[in-house]
Amino acid sequence: MSTKGTHIPDRLKIPFAGITPAPTQEKGQDLFPTGNWRSIRPVYRDKLPPCNNACGTNEKIQGYLDLVKRGKYLDAYALIKEDMPFPSVTGRVCYHPCEQACNRGKYDEAISIRAVERFLGDLGQALKHDVVKAGKSNGKKVAVVGSGPAGHSAAYQLARLGYKVTILEKSPKAGGLNRGGIPDWVLPQDVLDREIERLVELGITIKTNVEVGKDVTWDDLKKNYDAVVLAVGLTEPNSVRAEGEDKNGVHYGLPFLRDIGMGTSKVKMGARVAVIGGGNTAIDCAREALRQGAVEVTMITVEAHPQEMPASPEDLHDMLEEGVELMHGRAVTAVLGNGKVEALQLHPARFSGAINASPITVDREAQAERFHADNVIIAIGQRAALKWLPDEFKTDRGTIKIDRFGRLGDTNFFAAGDVVQLGSGQPLMVVNAVGDGKRVAFNLDKVVRGESLQPRTIPVDVIFDLNRMNMTYFPHFPRVHQEMLASASRRKTQDEVIQAFTEEQAVEEAGRCFSCGTCNACDNCYLVCPEPCIARPERSNGMYKILIDYCKGCRVCIEECPTGCLEGVPELDFDTGVVRMDTAFAISPGLHGRQAEELRKLGERAAKNI
Amino acid sequence: MPTATATKKKVRINGCVASAQAAKYADVDVIAAYPIRPYTATMMALAQMVANGELDAEYIVADSEHSQLSIAHGASSSGARVFTGSSGVGVQFAYELYSPISGSRMPVQMMIADRTLDPPGDFGSEHTDALSTRDMGWLMGWACDAQEAFDNHLMGYRIGEDPRVLLPQMVCQDGFFVSHITSDVELPDADQVKEFLPPYKHPYPLDPRRPVSHGPQIMPEQGPPLQLERARAMEESMAVIEEVHDEFAKIFGRRYDPWVEEFMTDDADVVFFMQGGHAVTARFAIQHMRDKGLKVGLVRLRTIRPYPTDRVKDVLSKFKVVGVIETNMGLGSPSSGGVLYSDACAALYESDKRPLVVSFMAGMGGEAIVLKEFYWMTEKMLQAQKRGKIEKRTHWVGFEE
Repeated sequence: MSTKGTHIPDRLKIPFAGITPAPTQEKGQDLFPTGNWRSIRPVYRDKLPPCNNACGTNEKIQGYLDLVKRGKYLDAYALIKEDMPFPSVTGRVCYHPCEQACNRGKYDEAISIRAVERFLGDLGQALKHDVVKAGKSNGKKVAVVGSGPAGHSAAYQLARLGYKVTILEKSPKAGGLNRGGIPDWVLPQDVLDREIERLVELGITIKTNVEVGKDVTWDDLKKNYDAVVLAVGLTEPNSVRAEGEDKNGVHYGLPFLRDIGMGTSKVKMGARVAVIGGGNTAIDCAREALRQGAVEVTMITVEAHPQEMPASPEDLHDMLEEGVELMHGRAVTAVLGNGKVEALQLHPARFSGAINASPITVDREAQAERFHADNVIIAIGQRAALKWLPDEFKTDRGTIKIDRFGRLGDTNFFAAGDVVQLGSGQPLMVVNAVGDGKRVAFNLDKVVRGESLQPRTIPVDVIFDLNRMNMTYFPHFPRVHQEMLASASRRKTQDEVIQAFTEEQAVEEAGRCFSCGTCNACDNCYLVCPEPCIARPERSNGMYKILIDYCKGCRVCIEECPTGCLEGVPELDFDTGVVRMDTAFAISPGLHGRQAEELRKLGERAAKNI
Repeated sequence: MPTATATKKKVRINGCVASAQAAKYADVDVIAAYPIRPYTATMMALAQMVANGELDAEYIVADSEHSQLSIAHGASSSGARVFTGSSGVGVQFAYELYSPISGSRMPVQMMIADRTLDPPGDFGSEHTDALSTRDMGWLMGWACDAQEAFDNHLMGYRIGEDPRVLLPQMVCQDGFFVSHITSDVELPDADQVKEFLPPYKHPYPLDPRRPVSHGPQIMPEQGPPLQLERARAMEESMAVIEEVHDEFAKIFGRRYDPWVEEFMTDDADVVFFMQGGHAVTARFAIQHMRDKGLKVGLVRLRTIRPYPTDRVKDVLSKFKVVGVIETNMGLGSPSSGGVLYSDACAALYESDKRPLVVSFMAGMGGEAIVLKEFYWMTEKMLQAQKRGKIEKRTHWVGFEE
């Protein structure tokens, strides 16, 4: 009897003929691990969705859309607040680079992200107490000079980090460009007021009517604070350098809007108004001019065609709907009139370079045109007023000189917003200033705590290619459009032109999100795994667990992952113990940190227990 | 052709119909069928029984022997008593399934009516078809007539379904010599069968109310325990086989030695060692030679898997010369003839009194082994006895002086 005296060790004890009990959700098919077949291991690796990447402050857009889709509005609001102090503002004013980048735009129509952001921002406005709390005090004092988007953002993040923040604002009311650069019919004053209140709730002191260089000096700042953020913005309007520019009835874009915003405007528009400039501020000025009593408004641009104008196509469209006329390819060479504007002298002009920041070539040989106007609004950009700044920190282009972390030399001064971004190639947008303020706040914190500043070294994988997702899972579905006031009636009121989403609309629109490259707990991998070796003990983003002892590496989950989050990582990479840490489980920090908590922990565990 | 419609106890039927009758008496649940001569006669008889209501079973005609055995495997996994069968190359075509069925310990029963493998491409009986699967974990043995075939089927189910065993069985008979030759078969009372063969109950059948996985993939280190358990089952079946033969004799009155039949061996010097239907001719030949005073006998192997090594050793050690009649092909085998020689020699190796062993290639291609060939083979064995040495390991009967 050959089997006499044989015994099977306990660790190899198996049921009769290997017949095994049904697999469970927790342990899968528990008995016969087949993971050793595998040459490819599926790994949940969140990519950066293009919206998050394009956003000036890298809002976790995919994340909050997903939460809205699930009805978790408060969680969504909290998520957006990590990067954006005032979603109610950007939900109205942002030029939404996210929507331009949205992969859905290549498929049918981009997600109306800004409208969902506004939905969440308005929800936050209605809360008695904000979800964001000030950090535990670290006893350090920071001054933030300027309360525009960059200053607001920096102050907000610093308060969350535990700093005692004082905002110094030269105007009588806080808000900076949000207050003075954006008309009421885009951003009602009370919305901004509420966001300023939120800063006060965080314990931030706001001192208005304090101007740096006049009421407070560089040395005062240096002496009285542990660190300073300079977010002074661009306050001085550019001139067209035309003869007679000083005549009555000539206004400059931002001061024109700012005085109206601050309630100090004494401007009365004549019937015929010319707006010089082709950017977004010029558009706001043209539309504001209508609301200030103008009958006919004409926008005069050097650009030869509407497509060349550095403006949001939507705003341009809305402006034209309100009846503003366009006149292209001309420059103002003189302002005519006896003390007061009566007409403009125009000559054909073009930009000498390919981009509209290049010098303008004016054809003075050509016959001059005379354009009758009662008022002129010049909106061709702004520059900074930096007389108070030590010369060593001034650049040739009239901005503050900083290193790549926003720091002025080795001082504890940092600068953020338009005052550093002007001429950098970055569009001057609220959201970019917010991002700038956020990053500078974190860098400032590191410097104050004595940590070294390191540039980011982990490559960011932005998912641009629809082929990296499984598009068969996404039916075509049109964008939900925001209601607007009728163009005929709105041109004479300060009422908000673009209307808010209803809850249903917000949920519907959020539901269109592809969740590019990011696990949104759709359950598809769980359903298609033939083993089954994908466990779902808790339902939450990125929380699926692949029972690696059983996964044969068949790739079905990878191929069928709608969002392209699942990737096949060669098993050899795991055995080296090097690539495993760096590529397989490295989640780009700050992208989906909350969702990826479980995943990030995976790298810390021994390979076998994953 | 008489079938089970016969009402009297003793019927005159051939081996194929005897097998079908046995399946009916065993009240099988599923019949997996695919025609190939000579087994076809069995599935025909069963089809008739199902059609006329004698037997309540699922009768599934497959599209090949591979499917046929797959159906048998699946049906057995779900807890059914399964009957199937084949011949010759049909047995080969289903080869993939033999190890999985025994490995998952499914007591499927398969009737084999032997047929040559190609070439020669005829319908005659050679045991190579079933013998080629002999190490796949199936209980296996040959009957030499229709009655024994009938009895082996009933005993096969009882042994294979025993919880100590749970192994499939090949119940073999020679094609045509047994399968198509009519002889008297005593059919039992249904009550006798009921007493002898309890209903089949697998411990872990596939059942949606109690989900289990059959045949999961395993880690390499988990393979050996499963093989060891299958080997244990094969060895432990030996005791069960003996018990079942005893009980069969008690209930049905026919006693078989489970391992070997000895015929006129008491004072024999030389014996034939063989299995299957040619043994019937061998008995006559031996009687004739005994009349002439030659001390010749017959040892017929009834069960080849599990191989009764000790029993074969003890029995064959009594003689001077053993002549193994192969009726199978073992090309390049140790004897350069058939495969039975090796097993016999292996059994005898530890004997203190080893006889001479010689192998005869006879009955190949389904030819009858006629009386004068048995005389010739006896002569060869007697010469070896006299000489104290074999002339050569294997003789090709009919091709030598």
